[in-house]
Amino acid sequence: MEKIISLSHVTKKFEVGDGYFTALNDVSLSFNAGEFAGFVGPSGSGKTTLLNIIGSLDSPTEGEAMVMGRDIAKLSHKDSAKLRNLHIGFIFQVFNLLPVYTVFENVEFALLLQDVPKEERKKAVMEALEWVGLESMANKRPDKLSGGEGQRVAIARAMVKRPKILLADEPTANLDSANAHAILKTMKTLNKELGTTFLFSTHDEKVMAYLDRTVSLKDGKVVSDVANKDQQVQA
Amino acid sequence: MKLAFILAYKNLIGAGLRTWLNVGILAFAFILIIFYNGLLDGWNQQARLDTINWEIGYGELRTDNYDPFDPFSIQDAHKAYKSEEFPMLTPILIRQASIYPHGRMISIALKGIPVDQSQLKLPTSFLTSEKETIPAIIGKRMADAAKLKEGEEVLLRWRDKNGTFDAMNITIVKIFDSNVGNIDASQIWISLEQLQTMTGLKEEATYLVANEGYSHEKISGWTFVSQETLLQNINDIIASKKISGSVMYLMLLAIALLAIFDTQVLSVFRRQKEIGTYVAMGMTPGQVVVLFTMEGSMYSFLAMLVGGLVGIPIFTYLAMNGISFPDVTQDMGVTMASRIFPVFGVQLILGTMVLVIVSATIVSFLPAKKIAYMNPVEALKGKLQ
Repeated sequence: MEKIISLSHVTKKFEVGDGYFTALNDVSLSFNAGEFAGFVGPSGSGKTTLLNIIGSLDSPTEGEAMVMGRDIAKLSHKDSAKLRNLHIGFIFQVFNLLPVYTVFENVEFALLLQDVPKEERKKAVMEALEWVGLESMANKRPDKLSGGEGQRVAIARAMVKRPKILLADEPTANLDSANAHAILKTMKTLNKELGTTFLFSTHDEKVMAYLDRTVSLKDGKVVSDVANKDQQVQA
Repeated sequence: MKLAFILAYKNLIGAGLRTWLNVGILAFAFILIIFYNGLLDGWNQQARLDTINWEIGYGELRTDNYDPFDPFSIQDAHKAYKSEEFPMLTPILIRQASIYPHGRMISIALKGIPVDQSQLKLPTSFLTSEKETIPAIIGKRMADAAKLKEGEEVLLRWRDKNGTFDAMNITIVKIFDSNVGNIDASQIWISLEQLQTMTGLKEEATYLVANEGYSHEKISGWTFVSQETLLQNINDIIASKKISGSVMYLMLLAIALLAIFDTQVLSVFRRQKEIGTYVAMGMTPGQVVVLFTMEGSMYSFLAMLVGGLVGIPIFTYLAMNGISFPDVTQDMGVTMASRIFPVFGVQLILGTMVLVIVSATIVSFLPAKKIAYMNPVEALKGKLQ
């Protein structure tokens, strides 16, 4: 299996007042292409920081973070933007849909950045909306959507460019149980069909039940890294 | 750039009322700037044109000892001229005199001008009256000051060339209305031939007004003063008005730009998560700067559009029909026509457009530059201060 993410002795410190807060402490992990894995742990354990570093939104204070063969700490603004643009999709806890765009335009945005021709864009966007079952809502604005629908649009937006890696930060935190399961099933299906690597940050047990691999963090350190062979829920 | 344009357009149109409020303010400022400057330009052009048409023509040939700012120079400021030698010149003779309207004495400048001249707009054809008294024309200001009416007779006293006083009644045959005070206040115009006869100064004049097409060659005893020199005062006044106009211009522009700047600065904070999302999705800081700068400049483009839709019919109407001003402005010492036709030149419109667009772009760029390199993680959390 292709190793797509490799973290070696990654430490991340944030300045707090006169001192430092260590969000990640000597974390070494690697992920293969097509994994459906998650970081779990209490608030402040470093889950989101880890996702941000993998997503090249942040860089480690110490250690090396290699994503798709690129050293995150050494990427310029332009190169890290290119990496995110082409290979990494994000799903946020609060969806972060662009409020003035329609559902179609929100999903189309990632392809606009890649300068994909109009016809191809339209086809890809409608396909992505089909994946999440929202093709009939293409012309609606985000404020007309329910929480579940909003998160499904976020998934379509992240997946439309068929990224190698999809990072989801607490994707079910604002959803009810039914919507959470529906979304997780959708993501699991996309993981299987498109081979995208999914990495979650969560402390939601519903999400954990879907994960093939669970990395537990506590105080910035990896305390366990377990492959879930007997998932409680099947996609 | 194309992407930034599309996104900026979508963002602005999607923002709805916020966008249209800014556009409205900018369009209003745009219209006001053009209107104000068009009005000033119209006023200035009219002032120059009136001065040329009523007073100075295309320059003046003055007798060497004539100083228009020194009344004592008038007595000796006359010189013989031969009209056949100066076909492109309109001679004017000035003498000091007094009139006695309603028992008062008023000192005046008595000016003689050829009855058949067409260089100046003075209605000299009225001076051919066949009455026994001397026909005279005066301006509205003079008529108001002396309380004279058309058809009224008034006693005129003057000195002949030997310094002897003489007196005779004149009849006000016409009161003309001119914006140029220099040919009106404390002046009475009669036929040149008449004045030359009255004063014994046959074939003499104080100064000669050049007609269009006059080409000057040095003539002994006469000093040529060019049209530009004669317009210098009015040009200076126009220049000083331009400065005060620029202050107004900048104030209006500042108000509009403040609205854009405010919106853009607020956007930095209000739209942090949106900016974080852009960056997370792969926009470079440079693209973010271009997007936000484009949004700011697009306000000015939309304002041009709205300003054009609203302004063009108004400006066209005003340029064709003018704006009337009450007579009271004359009494307040403001020399202006009762109707001013604003001039909305291409230079004014294009200049204002460029200035508004460039300024709007600059005030949009400043906050955009600030946000472009913000930490995307902090932006996504909406934690930037």
